[in-house]
Amino acid sequence: MKLLNLLTSVYLIIIMVALLIGGFFIFKKLGEEIDFELGLELDRQIEAYAERIRQGVSPEALVNERLEIIELPIQLEEEQLNLRDTIAYHDPLNREEKQLKASKSFRIADKHYRISYYNLVIEAEDITETVVYTMLVVFFIQLVFLGLFFRGISNRILKPFQHTLQKIQQFNFQANKPLHFQKSSISEFNQLNEFLEKMTQKLLKDYRQIKEFSENISHEIQTPTAVVSGKLENLMNLDMTEEQALLIYSAYQNNERIHRIVRSLGLLAKLENEEFESPSQIDLSDILIKNIELLSELVILSELKLETDIKPEVMVKMHPFIAEIMVHNLLGNAIKHNLNGGWIKVHLDRHLIKIENSGASIQHDPDELLQRFKKESSNPESIGLGLAIVNQICKTYGFRLSYAPVGNIHLTTIEFK
Amino acid sequence: MIEDNRELTQNIIQYLSHEGIICEVAGNLFDAQDKILSYEYDCVLLDLMLPDGNGLSMLEIIKKREVRPNVLIISAKDALDDKIRGLDLGADDYLPKPFHLSELLARLKAIYRRSKLGGSDELRFNEIIVQLQNLQVHVHGKSLDLTKKEFDLLVFLIINKNRVLGKNAIAQHLWGDYTDNLSSFDFIYQHIKNLRKKISEAGGKDYLTTVYGIGYKFGDHQS
Repeated sequence: MKLLNLLTSVYLIIIMVALLIGGFFIFKKLGEEIDFELGLELDRQIEAYAERIRQGVSPEALVNERLEIIELPIQLEEEQLNLRDTIAYHDPLNREEKQLKASKSFRIADKHYRISYYNLVIEAEDITETVVYTMLVVFFIQLVFLGLFFRGISNRILKPFQHTLQKIQQFNFQANKPLHFQKSSISEFNQLNEFLEKMTQKLLKDYRQIKEFSENISHEIQTPTAVVSGKLENLMNLDMTEEQALLIYSAYQNNERIHRIVRSLGLLAKLENEEFESPSQIDLSDILIKNIELLSELVILSELKLETDIKPEVMVKMHPFIAEIMVHNLLGNAIKHNLNGGWIKVHLDRHLIKIENSGASIQHDPDELLQRFKKESSNPESIGLGLAIVNQICKTYGFRLSYAPVGNIHLTTIEFK
Repeated sequence: MIEDNRELTQNIIQYLSHEGIICEVAGNLFDAQDKILSYEYDCVLLDLMLPDGNGLSMLEIIKKREVRPNVLIISAKDALDDKIRGLDLGADDYLPKPFHLSELLARLKAIYRRSKLGGSDELRFNEIIVQLQNLQVHVHGKSLDLTKKEFDLLVFLIINKNRVLGKNAIAQHLWGDYTDNLSSFDFIYQHIKNLRKKISEAGGKDYLTTVYGIGYKFGDHQS
C-alpha cells in the first residue's frame, strides 16, 4: 500500500467519524433550538389570546382548530406553561400530524381558563435530512481538497523522499559508488539522506574489506598451512615412534582440514560477492559425464549401482569452474552419504538436474543441511560445506535447489531458470 | 625456486635434496631475474605473489631464454584466472598451495620427463621397470596388468621411493583436488592391496610397508 493511499484512507476515516459525531450534536442542538423557539412563539400566542379574553372577547368565539380553551374549576392553581408533543388533526394537510401543544391557564374575571395552542413541529426526519445533506456537502468538499492536496502538493513535498527511494533501489555493490542526494528543504529528509550517505559509504568500505579479506585469506592462511604440511611431511620421514607418528598424522590431518575449510569459505565468499562474472553458455551434460567418469571408480569401490539418464548438450549459463564444483559436490555427496551396496540415479535435461540416492535417513531438518557447517554425518573428514556451496551457487545463478530426503531416499533437484 | 617464504623453501629443499635435486632460491623477482639470466636451470618453481611484483612477469623473461627451463607455478592465489593465464604464458603446470611435497616431486619429475626426455623414459626400481610412455610395467621381464589408478599409484610410489607417503597425499594424487570430501582412504588400501598382489604374483619383492597406519613407504629398507 502506498503511503499516500494509507494517509488518505486514515484521514477519510477520521473525517467520517468526526462528521458523524458532529452531525449527531448538530441534530440534537438544532431540534432543541427549534423546540425552544416554537415554545416561545406558542407562549406569545397564548398570552395574546388570554389578553383578548381579558378584553372581553368570549372564548367560544376565539376557538379554532389550533386553539383549545377549557374552563377549569376556579379553585385550581394557575398552570405554568406546559409544552408537549401530541398527535393532532392538521387541517391544511388534512391528516393527523405530530404537533407541539402549549398550554397555560389564566384566571380572567372570576373564571379559570386553560388555553392550549397547537402548532406543527419541524419533524426529526427533516432535520436529519438537512444535517446529513450539510455533512455530505462538507465531506465532498473535504474529498476534493484532499485529492488536490495529495495530487499536487504532497507529491511535491514527498518528491525528495521518492527520489531517495529510487536511489536506494539502484544501489549496488558492483558500481562501488556511495549514494549522493540533493539537499532538500525538509530537515527530516536531509537527515535521512545524510544517514543513507554515511551508511552506504560504510557498507562499501566493509564490502571492500571483506573482499580483500577473502582475497588475502587464501594466501595468508594457505602459506602457513603449506609450511606446516611440508614440515610434517619431512618429519614423517625421520625416525619416529608409533606414538610420534600418530601425533604427526593427527596434526597433518587437521592442517589439511584448515586448508579445506579456508578454500571452501574463500569459494563461498567469491560466490557471494559475485566475483565470477560473465557466465557463458556451457555444456553441462559434458561436465556431468566427465565428472561421473572421474568418480566412477569410487562408485565401483563403494559397491554402488549408478544409473544415468543424461540428455546431450544441455546448455546452462554459468561459469564452467563453478559448474564443475556444483556437479562434483552433488555427486560426491551422493557417493559419500550412501549405504553399502546402495544406488545413485542421475538425471539431466534442459530444465533440471536430479540426483537421487539411497542413504541413511537423516535426523536434521533438510533445510538446515544447506547451511554452513551443518552436517548429518559424524565423519570428521566431512567439513559440512559441500551443500552450502551448492546452495550458494544456486542462489548466485538464480537456480532453484531443493533437497528432500524421504526415508532412505535422498533427492536433490536443481531447476534451472 | 622463486619463493619468498623461507620456511616453505626450506621444506622443499629438504625434500627434493633427498632425490639429488639441487635447488637455488630467489626470494624476489629482482634476484630471480638475475639468476635466470646468469645460469641455466632445468626447472623453475614460481610463486606468484612476490614482494616486488607478480611472478607471472617472470614468464616473459623465461620464455626469451634460449634454453628454456620448465616452469611449475606454485601459488596460494587460488584464482582460476591466474592458473589459466600462467599456463597461457607458457608455464608447464600449476600447483596450488598448500601442496604435498610428494606431489610437488611427482609433478616436477613429470614435467621434466615430458620436456627434457621426450616422455620416453622409464622408471626403474630394482626388478620393476615402468615404461611411462606406453603405461607398461614389467617385473622380472613379466608384464603386469595394472589399472590406470594402480599404474599412477606405482609411479607415484617409485618417484617418492624411500619416503613416507601420507594417505592424504596419495588420495589427492590419485583423485585430485575435490576428492577431499570422499572417504577415499579405504580405496587407497584397496589399490595398495591389489598392486602388492600383482607385483608379488609376478615374482617381485614386496617393497611396500605400512607406516604406523598413517601412510605407506616404498623402498628397499624394511622399517
